[in-house]
Amino acid sequence: MKKKLMFLLVLVSLLFVVACNSTSSGSDSEKDNTDSGQETGSSSENNSGESKGDSGADKTLTLWHIETGPSEEAINQAVERFEEKNPGVTVEVSQIENDPYKSKLSVAMGGGNPPDVFHSWGGGWLKQFVDAGQVREIGNDIDTSIYNEAALSVATFDDKVYGAPVSMDVVPVFYNKDIFAKYDLEEPETYDELLTIVETLESNRIIPFTLANQSKWTGSFYMMYLAERFGGPELFNEAFGRTGRGFDDEAYVKAAEKIQELVKMNAFPDGVNGMNYDTGQSRQLLYAEKAGMQVMGGWLLNNVRDEMPEFEDKLGFFLFPAVDGGEGKKNHVVGGVSPVFSVTKSSENPDLAAELVKELASVETAEYMSNKAGSISAVNGVEYEDPYIQKMSDVLANSEAMQTYYDQTLPPELAQVHLDTTQALFGLSMTPEEAVKKVEEKAKELLDK
Amino acid sequence: MLEKVEKLSAQQVTTSTLIKKAKKRKEILTIVGFIAPALIVYGVYVVYSIFMTFYYSMFDWSGIDKNLVFLGLDNYIKLFQDDIFWKSLGNNSLLVITSLLTQIPLGLIMALLLFSPIRGMRFFRSIYFMPFLMSTVAIGILFIFIYDGNFGLLNGLLGAIGLESLQQAWIGNEQTAIWAVIATVCWQFAPFYMILFRAAIVGIPEELYEAADIDGAKKWQRFKNITLPLLMPIIITSSILSIIGSLKYFDLIYVMTGGGPNNSTELMATYMYRQTFTNFNMGYGSTISFSMFMIALGVTVVILLGDKRRRGEE
Repeated sequence: MKKKLMFLLVLVSLLFVVACNSTSSGSDSEKDNTDSGQETGSSSENNSGESKGDSGADKTLTLWHIETGPSEEAINQAVERFEEKNPGVTVEVSQIENDPYKSKLSVAMGGGNPPDVFHSWGGGWLKQFVDAGQVREIGNDIDTSIYNEAALSVATFDDKVYGAPVSMDVVPVFYNKDIFAKYDLEEPETYDELLTIVETLESNRIIPFTLANQSKWTGSFYMMYLAERFGGPELFNEAFGRTGRGFDDEAYVKAAEKIQELVKMNAFPDGVNGMNYDTGQSRQLLYAEKAGMQVMGGWLLNNVRDEMPEFEDKLGFFLFPAVDGGEGKKNHVVGGVSPVFSVTKSSENPDLAAELVKELASVETAEYMSNKAGSISAVNGVEYEDPYIQKMSDVLANSEAMQTYYDQTLPPELAQVHLDTTQALFGLSMTPEEAVKKVEEKAKELLDK
Repeated sequence: MLEKVEKLSAQQVTTSTLIKKAKKRKEILTIVGFIAPALIVYGVYVVYSIFMTFYYSMFDWSGIDKNLVFLGLDNYIKLFQDDIFWKSLGNNSLLVITSLLTQIPLGLIMALLLFSPIRGMRFFRSIYFMPFLMSTVAIGILFIFIYDGNFGLLNGLLGAIGLESLQQAWIGNEQTAIWAVIATVCWQFAPFYMILFRAAIVGIPEELYEAADIDGAKKWQRFKNITLPLLMPIIITSSILSIIGSLKYFDLIYVMTGGGPNNSTELMATYMYRQTFTNFNMGYGSTISFSMFMIALGVTVVILLGDKRRRGEE
């Protein structure tokens, strides 16, 4: 009896141990078997005495990104090219939705099993991981000279490069050409002209600006543009660098007031703060011609081509106009870099991962993305087939200043306050003074160290 | 009594105390062998995790690096001064109350309806149970579109019956957002309690109803004097499930509003998530988690004590 019981216990504990280990050792040995079979069959030049680890075979890299539509296709093609160049290496690609991606990656980083290569937007968000010692410096692995300087700067901290940029976006005001023609409207030169357009559309029961502000970063565009138009291109840098004006500067108050003025003019759809960009609620209004304009990054074109290609003919854009008496100019643009690809420090194959980053941020990928998905290349030497992108690229080339997105430049906690207060402004549940004060308080707490 | 008899006879059979001891040891070993797997899993994933949450709650830590700064109970002091935390606790209480007042009565009504002689009962049974079978994310996205202010189903319905004045952006408006989400939560969970009650009603002996019929009891009297008292234990269990579930609720809020607009639908769990994974405050997030745990524990203890006293009175 006793012996039987002991035997059973031993058996159970053995099973337990085996079950726990099988995920790592078991599957590896299986792969070893299949791959060694392939090796002897296909690549006969391979030195048979060489150990499998060194030949670069039977390795898996993981890649996380958030691209959709043609951009996703560009990523997949880059991965294919990489796999062709590196036989035996497989890349597991995970495409994740925008907002969940941010938390998923931080959970993975904290839990110690991040992907080898991951997407970011550079800026404060990437820096958070760099400061935590989770990102590998790849300045020596990639050829940094092929990238646009402004684009590379978002992934450069203390003169060290932590990521390779693929493309850039600017944020214009998109509009429906048909609607503008119908009501005899023209692209505005000044903010007052823009307000006239808002009034005209509103009185004709067309929502002037469609906006899905549950996502918060969408409403942030208005704040960034208006603050820049009042306070000039150095405003944000001074506030962020703590070298002059702060986040409670008069320009921010004025910008917040203008946002609430627009809200009171019914410039936005009902319940903007409940609409989600990822589920397409704002774009549906645009496609259904219920709304006339949308302040959105160039990736809107990617969305349109994916969701309603015939709408592209109606889509025009202009730059956010300057305000009277403000320091900012019409050709100062809000923009950003996306995607930036980086290698995690915990990657078991950092050299291969860096190779993958090179392929992902290559001229080929950037060219495909530019021509198919409507983003401006961050890699030099791309020729644009798409007149649309040529136009966007010209905008960026002619702009005198570029403001990177606040929510990606600021440290995440401060970015969150900026986004929350801006959303509250749209909901009219906070006064302009309260909102800017809250951001400044958080900035003091986090930046004045 | 029976046990005692068995023991006595066993004693008579075993003459040696040595054998008895050995047998006892074996028994203990068997018990340990059966309990151990569950105990290990429980220990690692529940007890240890709770302890570690408390441990982390005393640090300023981002959650992604190795740089922990000891703060003692500072995080808890900060928590008590945090308006958003109090707001979320208020929302949780609101969810607890509305869940108790709608999910359980609704579940009971649906369960009773399923026993009434209506044609197509099987059809209704499936329909009633449907919401519980759907994935939460799907429900969330479905209701986002139903509540949409511009082309939503709900506003369309209101317009069709001439109630345009009530039309609004249900989850975009700070006043209505929490109610819109709570309605969805109740819609999703009422069928769960329906199933529990249905099972309990089936278990009520038919003889009691027959006796009531002989005594000339009316339908309402039958319900009040037989069904309801006999359902009491399951109603209490359901209430505990509902209260605890509401206190730690997360998913639909996360999908539908993300705690917004302007924190108006923030719950403790979504706020904890936001602090931990969006703002990189693992330490503060753990403080919120641990407080959530203490609140849920406190509420459960109070309910169980109350239930014990009630039983004692009976």
